[in-house]
Amino acid sequence: MADTSPKVCTVNFGKGAQDISVYKSLGGYSNVGKRLFDLSQFELIDLVTRSGLRGRGGAGFPTGMKWSFVPRGGKPVYLVVNADEGEPGTFKDHFLMLEDPHRLIEGMLICGWALGVRTAYIYVRGEFLSAVESLNKAISQAYAAGLLGANIGGSGYSLDIYVHRGAGAYICGEETALINSLEGCKGQPRLKPPFPAVSGAWSSPTCVNNVETIMALPWILENGPEAYAAIGVGRSNGTKVFSVSGDVKRPGVYECALGLPIMEMLESEQFCQGVIGDLKGVIPGGSSTPVLTTAEASDAKLDYESLAAKGTMLGSGAIIAFNSSRNVVTMLQSLTRFYAHESCGQCTPCREGTGFANRVMKTVVAGKGRDTDLQLLLDLCEGFTPTTICPLAAADAGPIESFTKKFRADFEAAIARNPERAEERLHPNFRPGAFW
Amino acid sequence: MSNYYHMPKLPSADSLRVTINVDGKDVVVPGDTNLIEALRSVGIETPHFCYHPHLPLSGNCRQCLIETEGPRGMGLAIACYTPVRAGMKVATPASSPKVAKARKTVMEFQLVNHPLDCPICDKAGECLLQENYMQAGQGESHVREDIGKQYHGAPEHRFEDTKGQDRGGKDIDIGPRIILDEERCILCDRCVRFMRHVAGDEQLYIAARGDHAFITTFPGKKLDHAYDLNTTDICPVGALTSKSFRFKHRVWNLQHTPSIDPTDALGANIWIDHDGGTVYRLMPRCNSDVNRSWIANSTRAAFEALSTNRLLDGRLQGKTVTRSEALRHMMEKLQSAKKVALVSSGHLTLEDNAAMLSLAGVLGPRAEVFGGSWLPVAKPDGIALSGDPVPNRRGVSLLGIADNLDQLVSRAAEFDVVLLAETDLWFADSKQAKALEAIPNRLVLSAWDTASVKAATCAVGINAWAEVRGCMVNIAGRLQMMQAAPVSPVDALEPAWQTLSHLAGSDWNEVIEAWKFATGICSPLASIKYSAIGSSGLQLPPSGAHT
Amino acid sequence: MTHANLPQQPTFAEIAPRLETPAMKARVADLIRRYPSPQAALLQVLWLAQHELQWLPQAAIEWSAHQCKTSPVHAYGVATFYTMYQKAPVGKFLLQICQNVTCHALGSENLIAHAEKTLGIPADGAHVSADGLFTLLRVECLGACGNGPVMQVNDDFATDVVDGVVTMPKSISLTTERFDKIVAWCRANKEKGLVRDPLGGTLAGDLGHPGAEGASAQKQNSDYAPPPPALAVKAIAGTGVALTWKAAPEITELRIEHSSTESGPWAPLATCSPKDKEFAHATGIAGDCYRIVAVSGARVAKPSQIAKAGV
Ligand SMILES: Cc1cc2nc3c(=O)[nH]c(=O)nc-3n(C[C@H](O)[C@H](O)[C@H](O)COP(=O)(O)O)c2cc1C
Ligand code: SF4
Ligand code: SF4
Ligand code: FES
Ligand code: FES
Repeated sequence: MADTSPKVCTVNFGKGAQDISVYKSLGGYSNVGKRLFDLSQFELIDLVTRSGLRGRGGAGFPTGMKWSFVPRGGKPVYLVVNADEGEPGTFKDHFLMLEDPHRLIEGMLICGWALGVRTAYIYVRGEFLSAVESLNKAISQAYAAGLLGANIGGSGYSLDIYVHRGAGAYICGEETALINSLEGCKGQPRLKPPFPAVSGAWSSPTCVNNVETIMALPWILENGPEAYAAIGVGRSNGTKVFSVSGDVKRPGVYECALGLPIMEMLESEQFCQGVIGDLKGVIPGGSSTPVLTTAEASDAKLDYESLAAKGTMLGSGAIIAFNSSRNVVTMLQSLTRFYAHESCGQCTPCREGTGFANRVMKTVVAGKGRDTDLQLLLDLCEGFTPTTICPLAAADAGPIESFTKKFRADFEAAIARNPERAEERLHPNFRPGAFW
Repeated sequence: MSNYYHMPKLPSADSLRVTINVDGKDVVVPGDTNLIEALRSVGIETPHFCYHPHLPLSGNCRQCLIETEGPRGMGLAIACYTPVRAGMKVATPASSPKVAKARKTVMEFQLVNHPLDCPICDKAGECLLQENYMQAGQGESHVREDIGKQYHGAPEHRFEDTKGQDRGGKDIDIGPRIILDEERCILCDRCVRFMRHVAGDEQLYIAARGDHAFITTFPGKKLDHAYDLNTTDICPVGALTSKSFRFKHRVWNLQHTPSIDPTDALGANIWIDHDGGTVYRLMPRCNSDVNRSWIANSTRAAFEALSTNRLLDGRLQGKTVTRSEALRHMMEKLQSAKKVALVSSGHLTLEDNAAMLSLAGVLGPRAEVFGGSWLPVAKPDGIALSGDPVPNRRGVSLLGIADNLDQLVSRAAEFDVVLLAETDLWFADSKQAKALEAIPNRLVLSAWDTASVKAATCAVGINAWAEVRGCMVNIAGRLQMMQAAPVSPVDALEPAWQTLSHLAGSDWNEVIEAWKFATGICSPLASIKYSAIGSSGLQLPPSGAHT
Repeated sequence: MTHANLPQQPTFAEIAPRLETPAMKARVADLIRRYPSPQAALLQVLWLAQHELQWLPQAAIEWSAHQCKTSPVHAYGVATFYTMYQKAPVGKFLLQICQNVTCHALGSENLIAHAEKTLGIPADGAHVSADGLFTLLRVECLGACGNGPVMQVNDDFATDVVDGVVTMPKSISLTTERFDKIVAWCRANKEKGLVRDPLGGTLAGDLGHPGAEGASAQKQNSDYAPPPPALAVKAIAGTGVALTWKAAPEITELRIEHSSTESGPWAPLATCSPKDKEFAHATGIAGDCYRIVAVSGARVAKPSQIAKAGV
């Protein structure tokens, strides 16, 4: 069955749009000229605000509003596209950049014109070298076509775009850590305020947006904000690109209007074509969003508000489905290990807390858990969630709290496997080769 | 570490005062600072590790949590990074169980991977971890012994202890003056910020990440900078400690006497840490207007001289005599002299130099006062040294004494007596000083057995700087006071002002008498009382600067 | 306890011939001109150095720091912070198997066990197989969960070998058989290896960061001003002159100037907000001349082209 859901960012998938001539023949860049350059910065920001576009990087912050915070007439303004895509379960940005790099460039031109940006960076996570190649090729083509560089389309406006390759740190997805990393520092989040829109890279105003957010702009400019706002439900306007993985027949990247029932995403012929085995739970928005049980997932919808009402989040739109044959205890440990590994180590509660929580989970998995361990984990979460610089620690708490609560029987069984509550010491496993 | 940092704003005497509500009570605090400083101004101490008033804010330890009103009601925030706003509501543990719990939790996290080896730690007694634990952290711990610890440390220093636990490095020779204990480091990055932003030479960094992070220099390089010992002061725990103080003395036995850097005209404020008549170390004393919290390693080393090569008695024609014999000889020579050259000293206090002027008054037209120094002057380093090795040069000129040593050299033949007090001309420039040997009677007052003492016909020991009370004026015209530490090697020694007053026949007993004399003859000092000087000194009006 | 993988560190003299090449110099200069401060190129320069040497010895970290005008210990902190910089030598093929949640649920532990057995080395990133070809490493989510479990070989996603190429076809995940196939491919191609440009190639036509060393873009300081907007004017009989203009970014204020001749003198007529796009000059008549000056904060642009009111 053909995919009938509206397409904004993925229209060109499979059409060879990596090449500028193909992209142009599909209507690309047609608005970079009179249509764009006739719009004043305020009209453009207003247009984005009216479309109801919200950040697709995880927080769902209204994009038009973020742009309106950027001061002008002072220091140079930077645009940094966040392609650090590191949230476990998420892989949409990678495919977006591989399949349609010119749409990202066109979106950056729109954002750049709105904010008066002269230099923009795309921060791509280190593992996506193929995306870096695809982007560099597309950017070179755009320079050759006069769409980047000095005096674009005779407008007097100039823009340069560079790709900055990260080197393996999930925390660099956090916008201030990303900025530090762009500056050649360790990717450690900064204290806020000031927010990047006011003082970010090189203490200049900096707009950080997710790949998908920027890639929605050409469509909005072409079809008008009303057309975009007409898609979706309530305050969740437009479409969202979901990364679906786990126990489904056809995992992959799917775009649909916000508000689609989760089960339709998992079972519909045009998307994942059904769950393998009996569904045990679904992580709806990336590893840090609280898991949903099958019962909760049965009537959950994929939009910001309905998932919030279920006590979880749309996050980055990474849906991980798993069936009853999967071990939720070791799954949780793979997540606690991840957050301990990715803590930037800057602030005490997260640095020591995520590591400690992971060591507790390790003892549980090793069959050395104690009855009090689940409570201990919850206490740790309660301790590090409100006291840290950035939300990474809270992101660890999301799965810990929801997994231990919703699959309590599995955790109790794992602890009960240890009849004599062994007192053996478990060494923290130091692996210099991997860690430093 | 980020490139862009904000320095904390510190309150000053003319800070705008605003009312905020702390724990339900309205209090008036300086309005232009952060909550740590504001709360401190009303007597509420907030436990903290990473905050330092003279370092950029980092906000990483999270120990200083308070509750304040945000967009979503009362919420936790760090006091060090929260600016004071008029009318704001603040809750400390006194009224908020949430804050109390949060601080206790942070403390618990702080200790999760800390070795807790206080009994063998040099920092014990002045460790912020110990102090804050008493304030914020006590109670039942969640830490499970059997889960083990993830000690901080570089891979090349790690070892397995007898219990099979993987440990971080201990006793690492990180530099010529400093020892590092990696495990104890709480990664507050104070030392990193000091080296980067104050010393201006990035030699330390926190490497790796998460709970594997560790403090380090570049592998194979040493922590070696003229100010590096400051890192041992600001390190809140016993991770960085000074080799010279190591295991010398337990800090809780030390007494602290405020003083002034005797080696430089910036007059960095210092503490003399002593016990039982022995000085164990010099430490920086915080003064936002002078040296902030920093002193140079060379300043710290000044205490070593207090117990070496001292002149404790008198010398007459190179032979050791008692102080009183030497003094009697000096008195005779002064009385019979035709023309006396009195050489003042920028190494002595205003009081000492005033006493010399009073002696000149007694001698009348027979005496002439000289001043100045031959020691080379270097460039200021922008931290805590002005480069001028004469600490009280400004004070001496304030007393109206000219910089005219050259004249003394050219006119040496006119004099039959020269009296030097704590100014080692034979050391500073032995060639020029040679000319003074034409003067038949060379009388020297000195705390040390110096080259000038050797060249003197008669010399007498006096107290060194640490042992006297008195004032100096620093290079910026700031009047500062040093207090006497009870560390005189022998009781018989006197401060220079007292010896000079004996020679003048005036027998002052209290330093205040010398001070009164000074204020009487020097208009910029007129009517200044000791009590007005205060612990951080008194800036003299610039008009006095050109006297 | 000592750690097996504390590597022998080469001296700078030993690695210098690989780093101090004209090509490398040009590449580093090209990177540095992209940013307002050289330090920002550090991550990219470390990538280049690692590519040349297959790993990052301390001397290479120090070299990178000097290239980027930052302190060696800063570069050391950065190099140890990011996990993709190899601080010890690795095999020609670095096999990174994802152990994060999706891959874990779909059986990555079995795969890792299989890989460790097949290659005879633990998956800790600290060992090189006896033939010098392989290093095995457990990694966190690689961002390809739709293909989970997945693996990267050097910089390539690898779940299969298709037509003699290591690749990750849609919906194809790694199995023990496919792992063996990939390992066989690596052995067969050990001379060639699996190498890509570490920064995905170079660019042509860019201007560099305004003001950066070697960049051709104009500096965004007080003498840099926003492009002046294009102005159009029309005189309408009886109602004066209507001015309209097109937008330009960065503008904080627009000043309209008036003169009765094309050669001036110019008199200020009005100040408009950047939101305005038109202005009516009630007393203007056909033949009057106008120009517009764009202002961005403290920066003032050159006046626009002169527009003469037609009829
Ligand atoms: C720990 C953490 C990781 C994040 N990772 C990503 C990421 O990988 N990609 C992304 O686009 N945003 C990520 N974000 C969100 C960014 O901070 C930021 O909100 C986003 O890039 C803003 O763009 P948007 O408004 O277009 O969503 C992360 C945030 C946190 C706290
Ligand atoms: S919460 Fe964790 S990741 Fe975020 S700043 Fe603190 S230590 Fe770093
Ligand atoms: S060595 Fe001391 S000052 Fe430096 S980071 Fe560690 S605890 Fe802080
Ligand atoms: S003192 Fe405030 S966070 Fe460290
Ligand atoms: S979990 Fe393995 S690639 Fe994402």
